[in-house]
Amino acid sequence: MTAYILRRLWQFVPTLLGVVLLVFVLFNWIGGDPAYLLAGKMSNPEQIENIRRQLGVDQPYYVQLWIFITQIVTGDFGASWATNEKVSGIFATRLGPSLTVLVPMLIISTLLSMGLALLVAYWRGSLTDRAIMIGCTVGQSISILVYIIVFQYVFAYQLGWFPVQGWGQDFFTNLLKFSALPIVVGVAVSLAPDTRLYRTFFLDEIHQDYVRTARAKGMSETRVMGVHVLRNAAIPIVTNVMIQLPALLAGAFLIERFFSIPGIGREVLLAVERSDFPVIKAVTIYVAVATLCFNLLADILYRALDPRVQLK
Amino acid sequence: MTRSRIFAILFFAAAMAALAACGDKAPSLATPATPAKPAPGNNATKTLRITFQTAETGFDPVKVSDYYSGVVIAAIFDPLLTYDYLARPAKLVPNVAVALPHITDNGRTYTFRLKPGIHFTPDPAFKGQKRELTAADYMYSIKRFLDPKNRSPYAFLFEGKIVGLDKLADEAKKSGRFDYDAPIAGFETPDRYTLRIRLTETDFNFSHVLAFPLVGAVAREAIAAYGDDTNAHPVGTGPYFLQRYVRSSKIVLDTNPDFREMRWNATSADPADQAIITRMQGKKLPLIERVEISVMDEAQSRWLAFQRRETDIEYQLEELAPKFMTADGKLKPEYSSQGIRMDRSVDPEIIYLFFNTQDRIGGDPNPLGGFSTEKIALRRAMAMAYNVEDQIKIIRKGQSIRAHYPIPPGVAGHEPQFRAGVAYDPPLANALLDRFGYRRGADGYRTQPDGKPLIIKYYSTPTERDRQFDELMKRSMDRIGVRIAIHKDRFAELIKLANQCRLMMKHSAWIADYPDGDNFMQLLYGANAGQSNSACYKSAEFDKRYEKSRQLPDGAERNKLYREMTRQMEADGAWLLTDSRYRNVLLQPYVVGYKKHPVFSHEWLYMDLDAREAR
Repeated sequence: MTAYILRRLWQFVPTLLGVVLLVFVLFNWIGGDPAYLLAGKMSNPEQIENIRRQLGVDQPYYVQLWIFITQIVTGDFGASWATNEKVSGIFATRLGPSLTVLVPMLIISTLLSMGLALLVAYWRGSLTDRAIMIGCTVGQSISILVYIIVFQYVFAYQLGWFPVQGWGQDFFTNLLKFSALPIVVGVAVSLAPDTRLYRTFFLDEIHQDYVRTARAKGMSETRVMGVHVLRNAAIPIVTNVMIQLPALLAGAFLIERFFSIPGIGREVLLAVERSDFPVIKAVTIYVAVATLCFNLLADILYRALDPRVQLK
Repeated sequence: MTRSRIFAILFFAAAMAALAACGDKAPSLATPATPAKPAPGNNATKTLRITFQTAETGFDPVKVSDYYSGVVIAAIFDPLLTYDYLARPAKLVPNVAVALPHITDNGRTYTFRLKPGIHFTPDPAFKGQKRELTAADYMYSIKRFLDPKNRSPYAFLFEGKIVGLDKLADEAKKSGRFDYDAPIAGFETPDRYTLRIRLTETDFNFSHVLAFPLVGAVAREAIAAYGDDTNAHPVGTGPYFLQRYVRSSKIVLDTNPDFREMRWNATSADPADQAIITRMQGKKLPLIERVEISVMDEAQSRWLAFQRRETDIEYQLEELAPKFMTADGKLKPEYSSQGIRMDRSVDPEIIYLFFNTQDRIGGDPNPLGGFSTEKIALRRAMAMAYNVEDQIKIIRKGQSIRAHYPIPPGVAGHEPQFRAGVAYDPPLANALLDRFGYRRGADGYRTQPDGKPLIIKYYSTPTERDRQFDELMKRSMDRIGVRIAIHKDRFAELIKLANQCRLMMKHSAWIADYPDGDNFMQLLYGANAGQSNSACYKSAEFDKRYEKSRQLPDGAERNKLYREMTRQMEADGAWLLTDSRYRNVLLQPYVVGYKKHPVFSHEWLYMDLDAREAR
């Protein structure tokens, strides 16, 4: 196991280098010159040059790339070009609000969609199965923007069950008051595709020999479905959840924008609008590292869930 | 309970605790209010809740250029001068100065006398001492604009203006350190409260620069104390101080407990303003004790929040205007019956279509450029063919008015009677092009008089709004057989190209930095080509008059020059003025005393909230 983990960690290096190169090339190719944005309404070439010098974008590309790599190694991405705020400070202050919304959203949507998928898989071909699948297809084809606008209008504005938007100062107010509607929206959006996906995982398992054997031995349906089928279908489900986890770092920018949540997704969007490369760099690298780490974690979890899986 | 269930519960509890710690971290790590500041003395009825549609960047006056940061800065810092709240066009009045400046030496020397006893808000940077505002603070604050380290977007306000200041900046560029203590001839502080500024040339309108909210006084100790984080630690002498700040999300301002004695005192000849004057005159300011600003990016969120009375004023709902306004610009009855009011004014801005007047662009011949009769005819014909009314009706959805003059309403030098000399007239535009030899080919598009293809490059950004401009431009130019090639690029790249005089034709906008005509007429001054003069228009006749206008104070003589300059620009076909946008501000019934000012962004200093109205 240790050898496997070390080997996988070593493989992170070329992958990350690829990400670094891609981000660097893309930013310099299509990112635009930030000096012109920062210079304001009236600027002369001398001022532009002064800004470029201070940002370091007047350096040769290989020097800029080396600085980028040094920043990754040290974990210090410097300060935002637009606001001068430390990038580490941006993460420290914006990650909390994002996670307050996204973690419960992920837990609730995973549990709900697993339960629903298990039910419809069990009742495969029934009217309930068909109705839920049609509902999922319709739900999946609606844009998240529509969910947000409609839910905000109906549940917050018309019915007044939630605040239209906002963010408070303490965790429980934020979780229970301000995050409630964003969580509902997020769950509604992910419920349909997740249910469809997990249903196929369960259906793959339901017709396996071990299920027939379990039933033949007289096991209750609850135990067959809730223990044997669920456990065997867990591997692809875990993969799916693990794929979603790094996205938590990037936040859910649309939800954060509409509900005025001071999260990392909104900050990323602002950074792109402002050509704020230090923030863009940091987010990209953190998401890449998180993706690699969660993939590794998923592989390790496979082993925990199914002892037959060998990590080589 | 099985082990796995106990583990699951413990895991969930641990996860929630971690999340709580993480969530709680946000406000505590957000820039804290300065601890030494006194507790706010507000009560619930005096809290004004407003929104920003885009996040601010920070509150160091020399380091920012965005509107939203400027709004907060205007509430925290004090410039020497300010404007009368109601007078239109905007009228300069003293702020921390005892009186308007004593201008001598033919407009080259400005002398200010500061009111004594004005203090900065308490801050740890002052080590427990009361810190009085002095003339030296303004000297220091102005110097900061030219410190290369600050890379100030508004450095242009002072570049080349103050004797010796540019030399100091040049030395700083070489040495890497701006010597704030070096004496220069441009600044003199004969005593603690007197500031004398010597200009490099006559400028009777320099007072407007000193009324610009970003030219407020900062304390040198505070700037030194907060180092690179001055954007999050504004310390001023203004009516409010920063009580709580969660970047890009929430800004809470409380009344400065040490704010000087300031009474509501405004003048207006407009009968509509008399009710405000009667109600507010003589009251001690500020009346609103707390201002809570929430950054709400989306118009739907702002609109719903306003309707649910989660906010008190809504400034920016252009795209939703048809929801609450009738076609004739009135508030719909369903909202006015709730007591909601709307303040409608025209922003001090102009939108214009500029034509690059240079002969060549980046080495290639410019089919639009130059001042030969056929080139001028082409530019004029294109100006005549562009359908400004459709721009207002379709793209702006009626939320703008036609601009006829380069100086917009509310700004000194505006001429309400002036009418653009180039009217929408495609048949006449066609006739003009025919006359000057722009012949139509078999495909319906014209060629240049020498037979070469005529292709005009029009630049815009890849946004939905600009796509509408592209379509209108194409449709308008097709009517006169001028082939348009649309070039899309990012905003930053377009600025870069504009600064290099490489944009052939583009829409552009300018909003007043200060409400004086010079701020707009300089957009056509030849020496500003490659900076604010995107048309790179260089006319000896225009420049001669502009240079003369800069020697004159606001008045009939300067206005006459401005009219002549505008006609010259029209004759040369450098710009087509299109429109100026309306600003529709929605107010809850209990908001008292609001009137949109051409340049103020913190009208709340002069407003009140009526506790008697139900909230």
